[in-house]
Amino acid sequence: MDLYKLALNNIRRRKLRSALTMLGIIIGAATLMVLLGVTAGTTTAIKDETNSYMYDIAISPESTTGTVLMDADTISKIRNLPQLYDFREVTVLSEEINGTRLFFEGTNNWKDVKIINGTEGVVINQAVADKFGYGIGSKIKVKNQELTVTGISKEVTALYVHINQNQAKELAGNKVGAIYAQTNGDPKTVADEVEKQVDGVSAVTKSDKIEEIQEMTNQALLFMGIIASMALLVGIISVINTMLISVMERTRELGVLKAIGFTNWEIKGSILFESGILGFVGGLVGVILGIIGIIAIANVLNLEEYMAGMMPSWLVLGIIGGATLLIVLAGLYPSMKASKLEVVEALRND
Amino acid sequence: MTKYVLEFEDVWKTYRMGDTEVNALAGLNLALEEGSFTTVMGPSGSGKSTFLHVSGILDTPTKGLFRINGRQTSELSLKEQALLRRNEIGFVFQRFNLLSQLSALENVMLPMINKDAEKAIGLLDKMGLEDKYHKLPSQLSGGEQQRVAISRALINDPSLILADEPTGELDTDNAQSIMQILQDLNRKAGVSIVVVTHNPESASFADEIINMRDGKILQ
Repeated sequence: MDLYKLALNNIRRRKLRSALTMLGIIIGAATLMVLLGVTAGTTTAIKDETNSYMYDIAISPESTTGTVLMDADTISKIRNLPQLYDFREVTVLSEEINGTRLFFEGTNNWKDVKIINGTEGVVINQAVADKFGYGIGSKIKVKNQELTVTGISKEVTALYVHINQNQAKELAGNKVGAIYAQTNGDPKTVADEVEKQVDGVSAVTKSDKIEEIQEMTNQALLFMGIIASMALLVGIISVINTMLISVMERTRELGVLKAIGFTNWEIKGSILFESGILGFVGGLVGVILGIIGIIAIANVLNLEEYMAGMMPSWLVLGIIGGATLLIVLAGLYPSMKASKLEVVEALRND
Repeated sequence: MTKYVLEFEDVWKTYRMGDTEVNALAGLNLALEEGSFTTVMGPSGSGKSTFLHVSGILDTPTKGLFRINGRQTSELSLKEQALLRRNEIGFVFQRFNLLSQLSALENVMLPMINKDAEKAIGLLDKMGLEDKYHKLPSQLSGGEQQRVAISRALINDPSLILADEPTGELDTDNAQSIMQILQDLNRKAGVSIVVVTHNPESASFADEIINMRDGKILQ
């Protein structure tokens, strides 16, 4: 029986207190895991989508309201620019049905639409099916035309109907919301030239967009990290408190250990070890709960394919290692207090 | 040449209590030979507990020279002092001071550097605790707990046993039995023993009885 076994014994002996102390660490670690994991995963998802979806540049109306579309004249000017080739147009229009706004998105690549039932053509998402009670064969009226639902897709995040881009453009009066194109030469220079040569449009490059996303997600990560760290801070304070109480309660025991020849470093080490165990187990349980939370969130957001990216090994090991290290540091003050106990005074303690 | 286990040369231990200073040890001069069995008696406040604490390097003198087995403790680091306590001194306390969550065997093995359960079991057997290895202190009588404490004190083969009122919480039979064990250790194994006690019957087991008063030895 050495001091380290004695430390484990102390944790076991005070199960409820140890569990309550670890609860703070568990909540902190789980929150960190979920917030940072989901943020990291969705960042990857957005970047991937942007990468696969965007060409070198995206040209859209200067207005940012999203309802403004580019007319045939503007489209023609853009298409005639020699610096651009390999165009892809996207039109999104909306229609109010029974007081709810429904979006119709022109689709060029049906592979991106995860159809779970039916076929390409007019594909409503699950949210639309649930909200309006539509199914395959249902009729939807938009801009005086009647569309017949041919399929249902998996996504549930917004009310979308996917139709062929040509059809969307036609419904919008031959207008488009955005034109993606490859560039001859540096995309940044071409984007500037497009904005100069075509009135009322703005052009962003793929790298601008990715940078923008990166910046947004970095800020989100920092914000989430700060919130989650607050939770972990509560855990750290709770450990300091528990270890101080434990040292006070065990004053006589620590006095005996010193009297029978344990060095101050051994006493300090055993208190730090006890803190470290609380931190490690708390961090581990927190990460496990965080992973369960991530799985649930990924399922709700239909981000199953990015689930692995939401729990990278650096995050898992970082949280467990970080929690252990922080809690060991939290045990530093109580351990110093324990090692500085006057043996004679400690032995008199009841 | 005579070897001394404990040497006090004009040792003072002064405590401050508010504005006044109290001399728990007041110029103590004493040398105890290796292999001696000494009891220290005296009324409360005579300084006998402080004497024992200084002897066990649990407390440091305010002034004077103190040596244990020829080594001056004031020249030792805290770590060296701890290791000296661990290897050369065995403590027996009035209230046993066993760790309540550990079994008798675990308590005995606690100070061991190289864990040797056989040796610990051998000591418990010698103390007549053959069937009590795995009992917790709360499951043992006072006499049994003190015998576990003596086993713990002996586990690292110390040259000196310091006992602070070891029979203070025991009935007469158990008190006699504990003093007999200490006497046997002294006679058979040559371990130097210093016992602080109030009890004249316990004191009679020793070869030498020292009386203390006001931090000094009465001549």
